[in-house]
Formats: sequence, structure tokens, C-alpha cells
Amino acid sequence: MKLYAPHVGHLEGLEELLNGSKDIYGIYMAGTPDYVGTGRTNLSAPGLEDIAEQTEYAHEKGVKMEIVLNSSCMGGIHLTPEGYNRISWYFKQLNNIGIDSITVAEPYFVEMLAKEYDMEVVVSVLSFVDSPQKAEFYEELGADTIVIDPAVNRDFDKLEAIRDTVSTGLKLLVNEGCLYQCPFRYAHFNFFSHANGPGPKLSVLDDYYYYKCLSLRISDPQQLIKSPWIRPEDLKEYKHITDIFKIGGRTHFPNWILNNVQAYANESYDGNLMDLLDCPKDLKDLFYIPNKELDGAISQWKQCTKVCNKCGYCNRLAEKIIKVYSTEGCENVLKPLKENGGK
Amino acid sequence: MTITETLSKNRGELEVKLRNLLAKPVFLIEMDAFALPCGCKGATINTRGLQYDDLEIFEDHIVKYLKDTSENLEIEPSFLFARLVPGTAEIASLNSRVLCNRCYMDFARGSGKKPRPDIYILNFIRRE
Ligand SMILES: [Zn+2]
Ligand SMILES: [Zn+2]
Repeated sequence: MKLYAPHVGHLEGLEELLNGSKDIYGIYMAGTPDYVGTGRTNLSAPGLEDIAEQTEYAHEKGVKMEIVLNSSCMGGIHLTPEGYNRISWYFKQLNNIGIDSITVAEPYFVEMLAKEYDMEVVVSVLSFVDSPQKAEFYEELGADTIVIDPAVNRDFDKLEAIRDTVSTGLKLLVNEGCLYQCPFRYAHFNFFSHANGPGPKLSVLDDYYYYKCLSLRISDPQQLIKSPWIRPEDLKEYKHITDIFKIGGRTHFPNWILNNVQAYANESYDGNLMDLLDCPKDLKDLFYIPNKELDGAISQWKQCTKVCNKCGYCNRLAEKIIKVYSTEGCENVLKPLKENGGK
Repeated sequence: MTITETLSKNRGELEVKLRNLLAKPVFLIEMDAFALPCGCKGATINTRGLQYDDLEIFEDHIVKYLKDTSENLEIEPSFLFARLVPGTAEIASLNSRVLCNRCYMDFARGSGKKPRPDIYILNFIRRE
């Protein structure tokens, strides 16, 4: 199994990760947002020297280094002469440093990288590859590896069709807790891409999508179950698709990342599933989802047609197992969802 | 009780009251007491899952809970407001603030419940 772990982007953090676990196959991190931004928040923006130093360190440890430049919206600047020149200069520097792979979401970059450099070209989860047709397009553009859109993580017909259609590597993001069929994905990632990209910098009131995302789960906690995460225990169900798995969470501390690496490497986690999920990290102090009680749910999801109002399985499961942290005096206690307003 | 214990106790109590009222696991992600350089002071309660509809339907209850919480924190509940995510249903925080003279004038000049797109006034006691 090849596990890719996230990393915030400074050497000390990388040392902690790679000394903390032998199970990491590859590390991925953002670069500086001055050229191509990323579709997610970053805590640091390593410059070229930092990337070179960390790549060397990773290589000494026998670990691959991947740089993520997965802006989902460039506002067209990559198609201007100045933009093109700046970006291709940056790609060349990364290539010279000797990074192993580069993850992009913009199809133009897939083609550009495949033609001109010898880094492995990885199609980001933010390219939303959820069908064999899209996978085929990206393969023809020059992709070496495709990270499949987690929206189809529980749709085995699609996963198998993608596997049968392309000969690229396939990677699965295991711990994204985004809403299933989230209507905010495009808008939210585009917003991040501008907020964390080459400017002009926005001064925004609030991250609307984030508030909304949390609100939807708080008023309807079954959404937490429907999210297409893959439990550590269920990795075995995916091994006929691929053996490359990616853990999301570039804004987390090394401890959190190591906890995830250990869970997925051992294919087992006895605790709150919320500890492992990247996306709604605010909610891990609100909901407790005993991971072990999800044993067997995958067999339902494997044959589920995803028409929730007919099926109702996730709703029943949510009511049965989700607990809510509540305060009594100064004590934190766990209460069943029902007592705290579950539907 | 120390100030942090008081905050912690009141965060929990207010959360329980709101959950019972609204029948959903509303989450009070952080309660802070603050003092600003202008002279304003008070408390901010960052909320998740609380929505404008909830305010419209249960405003009286929510104002009462917020008043109680404010008094428990020894903050005079003369100015209570919700901070909204403008143009949406989301409420970012509930606030109790003792206004400095300058900020008081800013608010006293206006009328209505929404002096700014992100502020919804729950209680404003005018000075003599
Ligand atoms: Zn989302
Ligand atoms: Zn003031």
C-alpha cells in the first residue's frame, strides 16, 4: 500500500512526520501561492529553497515529494503571455529541484507539464474525475496519475469502470468529509483558489460556504454518514481498484496526521471517526461517531443506488450511533443524537 | 470561580438552552470576553448551526438567554446583537457589548434592527 500524507510545508514538521512513521510513501504540500494557488487553505507557503531542502530530506528518507498546485480557477492569467512565462518558470524550478510529482487541477497544466517536464503529473481531486470518460480525457492530456473525485468513493461500478478504462495510476482520497453531492464544491474551491492564489487578495467578510457546510450537518447529522469517506477498515474493499491512498489535511498538526497514517496503515481505528476526517474539523468536538460501529456499513453502500429518500439507511445509522457532546455543569458528556435535536 | 471557569460554565449552559429550544445540536464553538482599545467591552459567542430563521421565530427566548448569560458574566446587557453572514441564513456569533461613548453614538444615530448588513440588533438600551 502506498500512503500519501499531507504536510504543512516546513522542515521541522516534515522531520516530525517522517521520524514518526515508517508507513508514509509520499508527502504532499503546497508551494508558494505567487504562481499557482491551491484549492484549499494553506498554513505556510514554502519558497523554492524550502522545497529543495525538504525534497532532499524526504528523498534521504526514501519518501516521494509531491507539490500541490491545484488551483481550480486561475482567472485566465495562465493564458496570458506574462502568466504563462511566470508559471512555466516556476514549473522549471520545481523540476530542477527534483520533486517527484506535481498535482494540478487545471487541464491546461496537465498538458503543459506532460509535454515539457519529467515530473509525474497528477490530476487533482479538484478536477472532479468521476467517470471513465473524464479519466480517459485526462489520460490523453498526459496524466500519469488521477486522484478520483471522492463523490464516487462508494460507487464501485464507476470505480471499476475508471480502472478498466485508463492505465494511469489511480489514487483515492480516503478521509474527506465533504457533503455528499456537495453543491458548494465548485464555488468553494474557486473561492479558495483566489484567496490562496496569486492575488489580488480579497478582503472577505466570512467564508459563506464553510458556515453553510457546517450548518447543514448540524441540522441534519446523517450528512456526516453520507460523506464519501473511506474507513481504515474498509481499505481492503478498494484494493482491487488501487493500492495508492491519499490522506487529506494540509492544515493539521503532525500529530493529527500521524494518527491518520497509523489508522490507515493498520487499517483499523478505535475511536471517533471525526478524528480522522479532514473537512469539518470544527465538528469533531460536537459529534462522536464510534468508528467500530460502522463495521459492515460498506456492504450496504456498495449496493446502494444513492436515492436517499427511498433507502434511508444512512439516516437510521446516524440515529443509532451518532452521539453529541453536551455540557452538564462543567462536565462534557456524550448524549444520543435524539436527545439533542436529531431528526 | 475564575473568569475562564465562568466562561466555560456559561458557554455550556447557553448551548444546552439553545439546543432544547431549537431541537438541533447548535454548537457554540467559542465564547470570549473582550476589551477593545476604543473602550468597548463585552463577550462574543461564536455559533455554528444557528440560523436567521431561528432568530425570527425564537427572538424573545434567545434575547432572554443572552441577557442571562451576559449578566452571569457581569456584563450589562444593554447592547445585544447577532453577527450575520450577510445575505445568507447563517449567524456567525451572538454578542453582548458595553459600548464606549464613541461607538454608542455610532449606533444611537441609526435606527432599525440592521444598521449594517452583518449586524442584527437584539437589544439596544438608549442612554438618557
Ligand atoms: Zn463542502
Ligand atoms: Zn468602542
